[in-house]
Amino acid sequence: MSRRGSDAKYVLLLAGTVAALLVFWQLAVTRLGLVEEAFLPPPTDVGAAFVDLLGDPEFWDAFVFSLQNLFAGLALAIVVGLVVGLTVGWFPVLHFTVAPFLWLLYSTPKVALAPLFILALGLGSASKIALAFLLAVFPILLNTMEGVETVNGSLIRAGRVFGFRGPALGLKIVLPATLPFSLAGIQRGSALAFTGVVLGEFLGGAGGLGHRLEQVAFDFRMAEALAIVLVMVIVANGLLLTISAARRKWAPWYEAGVRSVG
Amino acid sequence: MTTVTTASSRAAGPSLAARLAALDPWQKALIVLGEVLVVLALWQLLVGSWRVINPIFLPPPLSILEGFDELLASGQLGEHVLTSIRSWLTGFGLATLIGVPLGLLMGSSLAVDRVVGPMAWTIYATPMLAYQPLALAWFGFGTGPVVFLVVMGALFPILLNVSAGMRTTSPSLVNAARVYGGRRLQLYRKVFLPSTVAFLIAGMRQGAVMATIALMVAELAGTSTGMGALIVRTANSYQTDQSFAAIAMVVLWSVGMTQLIGGVGRWVAPWTKGAR
Repeated sequence: MSRRGSDAKYVLLLAGTVAALLVFWQLAVTRLGLVEEAFLPPPTDVGAAFVDLLGDPEFWDAFVFSLQNLFAGLALAIVVGLVVGLTVGWFPVLHFTVAPFLWLLYSTPKVALAPLFILALGLGSASKIALAFLLAVFPILLNTMEGVETVNGSLIRAGRVFGFRGPALGLKIVLPATLPFSLAGIQRGSALAFTGVVLGEFLGGAGGLGHRLEQVAFDFRMAEALAIVLVMVIVANGLLLTISAARRKWAPWYEAGVRSVG
Repeated sequence: MTTVTTASSRAAGPSLAARLAALDPWQKALIVLGEVLVVLALWQLLVGSWRVINPIFLPPPLSILEGFDELLASGQLGEHVLTSIRSWLTGFGLATLIGVPLGLLMGSSLAVDRVVGPMAWTIYATPMLAYQPLALAWFGFGTGPVVFLVVMGALFPILLNVSAGMRTTSPSLVNAARVYGGRRLQLYRKVFLPSTVAFLIAGMRQGAVMATIALMVAELAGTSTGMGALIVRTANSYQTDQSFAAIAMVVLWSVGMTQLIGGVGRWVAPWTKGAR
């Protein structure tokens, strides 16, 4: 009971701090003249620009374009990441030989390949989907692989007793037991997939939120630029929260462990 | 220690930790090196000799070596490399300078944690790329936006890991130190710092990876010097062998930096050995 009370206190404190920061920002720009309004428009202007965006059909076209590519790339990454992750995690020989190599690939900055993807796949959706896939697949794959390691041996023996073999065993026993790890990977992967889509739009602009943001910032329409950044913050955090909700629903037993990391 | 344990532990079972712990680092490195060589040979064969893929899009390793020679011959490589390294080091240093004290503060005060934490997670969750056009407008072309993005990339892993490390410091250790009369500053130096170092190192390693990603993103999207700019320029003129040579250098930098941080971590804090 008291714990809930102190939680509410901290939520209030957080809300108060955010409100104070916004008020300070507003005053710093409009009254105190600490920052040039052209560089950093006050929150009220950003809010107005945000409302304008929501009524702009062109914005929604860009929004849908970006999210379509994001989800296509992410879906591909989830399928490939789960299948490969389960396979490599399951067979000790594969794990022994392939895993270090995958870790090596994981730690390389794959974003550097972006210009080549644009070159090879053109300015359309294909290059963005491919970039989102490439960036998202590794965290999903590696988390799944590491998750398979933790599956309790007695669960697997029990599954065998009930007659599961091969892929069925993977689907009914290993996958559910690995799910919390995979979801943690999917959470990380979704953020990276978003990066991939936006980077693709920056480099090979043919619509999308990233392209629009780049144009608007180039024209120095900072209020609208900040409003688009706000949209991206909402999309990214929305995705994250959705996946955490999925994790709580499908893997509630793991919640404590996940909380401690983040 | 002996190679016998390797063979037996390999047969022992599916525990990654047990199997890999039995190998010493050199053996592990050798295995990875061997695989890299096999992949490079296959790549050379498939693209270079059999042309399964258009070599413009994925030049074979030997062409990439030639591309590296061309880059060296052009005489501009040094400038690009130096610009990137300077931006990276500045950004990463700033991120560490901000991240460690703020993380310690978050870890020791619940109020700070509950206020800064959610804001930090919200900013961290958003692709830092989103802030790039803003930084470009604010700082102008050049290394300003690059350093800004590197800081944004590296700061949060360091900050959040340090605060997590403080939170996981065993309360009984803290109590023991208090019983022995440790003052506040001593408590930080002798109890919190040693138990947080493993997390700090982990955070800095993640931060180094993120810093390199941020460096690439910022330089790809809007600079005229730096490795990212070099990659865009060579790719756009279809000299992809040179692009890949530049990418390989960035990869080496990224891997080298994470290894270096891990090595320093094992050296200054040997008690964290085993923590990844």
